[in-house]
Amino acid sequence: MKTKKKQSISGIFVLIAFFVFILLFTYSSLNLKNIDYGYKMQKLLQAQKKLKEEIDKLRAKKATLLNLERVEKVVMKELGYRYPEAEQFIKIFEIGK
Amino acid sequence: MKINRNERNRAFIVFMMFVGWILIIGVTLIKTQVFHFTKYLARIKAQSHRILSLNPKRGTIYDCQGEVLAISVKAKSAFLNNKNRYESERIFSRINKVISINNEKRRNIEKRIKRGDNFIWLKRKLGDKEYDILNKIQSTSRQRSIIGFIDEYKRIYPQKETAAHILGGVGIDEQGLYGIEFALDKGLKGKGGEVEVLVDARRKVFNYQYLDQPVSGRDVYLTIDSTVQFFIEKELKKVIKKFKAKGGSVIVMNSRDGSLIAMASYPTYNPDRLRYTSGRVLKNYAISFLYDPGSTFKIILASSALENSICYPQQIFDCYNGSYRIHNRQISDVHSFNKLTFEDIIIKSSNIGAVRVGLRVGKVKYFKTINDFGFGSKTGIGLSAEESGILNPLDKWTLTSIASLSFGYEISVTPIQMLRAFNVIATGGHLFTPRLLMKVGQQLQRSRENGKILSTSTCQKMLSIMIKVVNQGTGKKAMIEGLTIAGKTGTAQKIKRGKYEKIYVSSFGGFFPAQNPVLTMYVVIDEPKGKIYGGDVAAPLFKLIAQRLMIYMGIFPEIDGKNEIRI
Repeated sequence: MKTKKKQSISGIFVLIAFFVFILLFTYSSLNLKNIDYGYKMQKLLQAQKKLKEEIDKLRAKKATLLNLERVEKVVMKELGYRYPEAEQFIKIFEIGK
Repeated sequence: MKINRNERNRAFIVFMMFVGWILIIGVTLIKTQVFHFTKYLARIKAQSHRILSLNPKRGTIYDCQGEVLAISVKAKSAFLNNKNRYESERIFSRINKVISINNEKRRNIEKRIKRGDNFIWLKRKLGDKEYDILNKIQSTSRQRSIIGFIDEYKRIYPQKETAAHILGGVGIDEQGLYGIEFALDKGLKGKGGEVEVLVDARRKVFNYQYLDQPVSGRDVYLTIDSTVQFFIEKELKKVIKKFKAKGGSVIVMNSRDGSLIAMASYPTYNPDRLRYTSGRVLKNYAISFLYDPGSTFKIILASSALENSICYPQQIFDCYNGSYRIHNRQISDVHSFNKLTFEDIIIKSSNIGAVRVGLRVGKVKYFKTINDFGFGSKTGIGLSAEESGILNPLDKWTLTSIASLSFGYEISVTPIQMLRAFNVIATGGHLFTPRLLMKVGQQLQRSRENGKILSTSTCQKMLSIMIKVVNQGTGKKAMIEGLTIAGKTGTAQKIKRGKYEKIYVSSFGGFFPAQNPVLTMYVVIDEPKGKIYGGDVAAPLFKLIAQRLMIYMGIFPEIDGKNEIRI
């Protein structure tokens, strides 16, 4: 009777020790995973930041290239366009219905 | 199995040793975790915790079409870590050969190296190429830490001079100094924040927590159309060069809600180079130029006379053949007239006729109308450089004040105030606050109407007179075939050293299509040489811009009585 009781107590102890071990193992592995995700997240955040900066730079570059003074210069000097003379405007007279 | 005493003793010793070991660990843990907790926490924090300040990105400024007018981009700023004077001098001489640093700055850096300052700015907000060069120098130098880089933001104005006076500009630390950049500085710059990060032995971040969340600057959308602004600035510059004028301004407003489509001023500047710009050029003519409006102000007088039912358009006035004396003050007309109707006084811009009307209106009623139009106070456009103008209070009016004010003297106005006054007639009597902002962040900006100050019938009479000014009177050079324009010319002398000199301000204000106004425009040219009259200097520019605006904005010509559509 006594031996049975002793056996069941030690069984409970083993079970508790097992659960404690599992708990500690899970906790430490989760902690490691958390740190690992932290690194990954930082990497992604840095990449996002860089991309945002790149987007801003490209937007600024696009706007600079579309500067109307520059466009006018390119159109007139490089493409040979010019403003129409007064006589080149055509007046349209449309007779009503 | 039996255990003898000896063995039991040995086991007891091992057990006690184990207990002692556990105790030592326990005591050490208690000592570390309880008694020296704060000390070790501080030590671990010093090793792995970093608090980084986060600079918010300044908001972007767009025009009404979403074109970028001002944007902040990341840029590196380089500094010298002056630990070894001789090495610093050697590195700086290398840098000086490849990076452009002006003489004054160069001398200052050399002086600071010799003095032994630890931290010396080499160049702030480097271009990409400059950064690459400095990076190369850093990587090939004996002491790598001698050159350091800090991330900053750099403000870029891609449209260069276009809308410079509206945008203003920022200082080296991105603080707004002029224009919208200054007026909306708080919203544009956002709020800096702090983040606490955990770093490993290699200083790599693996965890972070915001202590103070940063707030990015709000984006701002202006009502300005950069295309219209560009061609107006270009045409204004041409006219100013042609007449060798001192400066000038053109403002275009959406008649229906008071939003500004363009506000050009000349001379202008490039906001990217604000530091090298003189104060004279920074002056925004549209809101800061104070001048006596001259004959354009007659529309205020005429409105007052009609609103108070003192005159009617066909009423005849004696104009004394071009010379009239009032309280020892001689008033003259450019062209002499004997008798003119009320409307002809405005159409032909007779000063004597205006004085005669003014005397009938009386100073109390006239002062009230001038006040109702908002003269003498800021329009509320929201730019800090705006002037209120000068309108003497009624008790300071002299015997000749009513006469002077009748043809636009003894009062100082700004072009934006005059534009707003013309827009009152265009809208049938409503006084709108000129508006530059379309959207700030996610918040749409609404037009602000400050009540109806003229009756519809007064405005209709004024409209008919102002159409005749363009079709038959002094504003003929603003006439466009197929488009009815209502306007008024003005030529006023300027005061220099306390008296009126033979230097002039020419102006023309108006709106179109007259019967259903879409746009109100005001042109002012300061000190034109050769031709001086508003009808010769400002009106042709008004016409040219109106023609372009018609095409650009799709304002179609009106159908006349014969059912013809004319362009």
